[in-house]
Amino acid sequence: MITSEQLIERIQKNVGVPWQSQRSDGFSDGILFGSADATVTGIATTFTPTLDVLRKALSSGKNVIICREAPSYSRGERAPLFWRNGPAPSKELLDNDPVWQAKQEFISKNNLVIIRLFDNWDARKTDGQLRGLAHALGWEKFHVARAGENAYDPRNVYFRLTTTSLNSLAGDIKKKLNIQGLRVIGKPESSVSKVALTHGLLLVADAERILREPRVDVVVTGDAVEWEAAPYFQDLVSAGRAKGLILLGEEASEEPGNGEMAEWLKGFVTEVPIEWIPAGEPFWVLS
Amino acid sequence: MGTGLVAASPLVRALGQSQPTLTAREVVARIKKNVGVPWHTPTADEFKIGDPDAPITGITTTFMSTLDLLQRSAAAGNNFVITHEPTFWSAADVVSDLRDDPLYNYKVNFIEKNKMVVWRFHDHWHAHRPADGIFAGWNKAMGWESYASLGANPFSHQYVIPETSLEELARDMQSKLKTRSIRLVGDPKLRVTKVAHAGHYIQQCMQVLPHVDVVLVFECREWEAAEYLRDAVASGQKKALIQLPHEGGEEDGMDECARWLRRFVNEVPIKFIPSGDPFWMPV
Repeated sequence: MITSEQLIERIQKNVGVPWQSQRSDGFSDGILFGSADATVTGIATTFTPTLDVLRKALSSGKNVIICREAPSYSRGERAPLFWRNGPAPSKELLDNDPVWQAKQEFISKNNLVIIRLFDNWDARKTDGQLRGLAHALGWEKFHVARAGENAYDPRNVYFRLTTTSLNSLAGDIKKKLNIQGLRVIGKPESSVSKVALTHGLLLVADAERILREPRVDVVVTGDAVEWEAAPYFQDLVSAGRAKGLILLGEEASEEPGNGEMAEWLKGFVTEVPIEWIPAGEPFWVLS
Repeated sequence: MGTGLVAASPLVRALGQSQPTLTAREVVARIKKNVGVPWHTPTADEFKIGDPDAPITGITTTFMSTLDLLQRSAAAGNNFVITHEPTFWSAADVVSDLRDDPLYNYKVNFIEKNKMVVWRFHDHWHAHRPADGIFAGWNKAMGWESYASLGANPFSHQYVIPETSLEELARDMQSKLKTRSIRLVGDPKLRVTKVAHAGHYIQQCMQVLPHVDVVLVFECREWEAAEYLRDAVASGQKKALIQLPHEGGEEDGMDECARWLRRFVNEVPIKFIPSGDPFWMPV
C-alpha cells in the first residue's frame, strides 16, 4: 500500500536533484487537489488533466493523476511572463465558472488526487521531455552525440536528419505524432537537415542560445509568442540565417515526455498500475 | 545572405528626387490630435528606430514590422512604417539584450541603410474613439459591422451573426481574413450565432463564454483558452473556440488605420501592406 504523500516522497528521493520548495503562488509541484493520506489505487500521467483524462483515469481504476499543467487553465504567476499569458483568474471568477465547477466536482466526488510534477522533472540532468519527444519521432539515432555529455542533456537538442524539404519534414512530423495543428514558418521548399528539437514555449533568449550552434536549419518546438520568437524566426528566414520554425503545439510537444515519466515512475513504484493517458491535442484544423 | 540589402532602393531614389517637407514626428503629432482620446504615458506608441525629423517619402501601415515587411515597404518607396506590434521581438521593444545578436544588427542595418523610421501605434489605436481602430477594421473585413455590439471591455465585442455551423464560420473567416492557421475546439457541425472576442487571456474567455456559442481569441496561450474550451465541451456545453493567429485578429485594423490617416495626411502616399500570417500548415 502507498499513500499519495508517500508517492511524493518516493518521487523526491528518485528525482536526482534537490527538491524545489513549494512556491507561494500554489502552482508548484506537489498535490494540487486531493488528500495526502489517500491510498493510491493507480497512477495516470498526462500533459494536462482534462475532464476527459480524469474520466479515463477513473474508469481504469486510477485515482492519482500526475500532470505537467495545472487543471484550472492557468500557470498563475508561476513565471513573470509579461503579457505572454494572463494572470490567474480571480477566485471569484473561477469559483463561479460552470466549466471549472463541473471539473472540480468531478475531482472531489471521485476523491481524485492531482499531483503536479513540472519544475523538478525538468530540473533533472536528463531532459525527460526531450527524450520522450525524440522517441515519439523515432529520432534517437539522429541525435548528435557530444563527448563527455550525457545523452539527452537538456543542452543537447541537436539532431542531424537525412536532408529533406521543410514541407516534407513538417508533414513527416505531423504523421508521426498524429497531430493536425502543426504550424510552420519558412519556405516549404527549403532544404533542411540539422534540427534543434525542444518543447513547450520557445522564448527569444532560448532561440538565441540554440542558434549559437552552427548551421541549425530548423527549430522544432511547442509554441512561440507571436510578437516574440515567431517574428524572430520570420526575420531569421528573411535574413537567410535559418530555414524555419515548426510549432507542434504545447500538448504535442510535451505529451510524450509524460509517457517517459510513466516509465520512470515504474522503476520505483511497483505496488500499483501506472499508465500514460495522453490528453491529445486540443485543436482540429480546416482541411 | 538573404535578400535584404538593396543598394539603391526606390525609397533612397525618392529621397533624392523630391523635396518632401513632412516628417514622421509631424505625422505623429497629427495622429495625437485626431485619435479622440488624451495621449497617455507610459505607452508602447513611440519611435522605435530611425530619425523622426527626417523627411518621409511615404507611409506604410502594417500589423508587424518584420524584416520582410520592411523590405517590401522600402521597395514600395515608403520609408515611414507605422506598426501595430513590436519591431524587435518583445512587447516593449527592449533592445539592451540584443546588441550582440546578429539578426538584430542585420535588421538595424537594413533600416538605417534605407533611412527608415518605425513608429508603433498600438495602445492608442485600440483606445481610439468612437471605436477601437483595430476592431473597426476587423469588423469591416468580416462584413460584421451591423452584427456588432460593444461590451464594456474593448476586447469583448460581441456579434449576433446569421446562424451557421462552426466549420462554415471558420472557413468564412479563413477567406475573409486571408489567414492560413486557424485552430478550432468544438464540434464542426455545432450551430452557432453568438460570437465574441475574448482577447488573449483566460479571464476574458471565462467572462464571455456564458453569453456566446463561440469564443474567438487571436493568440492565447494553449494552456488557457484551448484547455478551458475542451473541458467546456467535455462537460456537455455546446460551445466552441476559434483561435486565430494574432495577425488574423489585428492586421485589418491597420488597413483601417491607413484609411483614417488619409483624412489628415495627404502630402505623401499611404499604403497598408499586410505583414501576413506568419504560419502555414502542411497538408
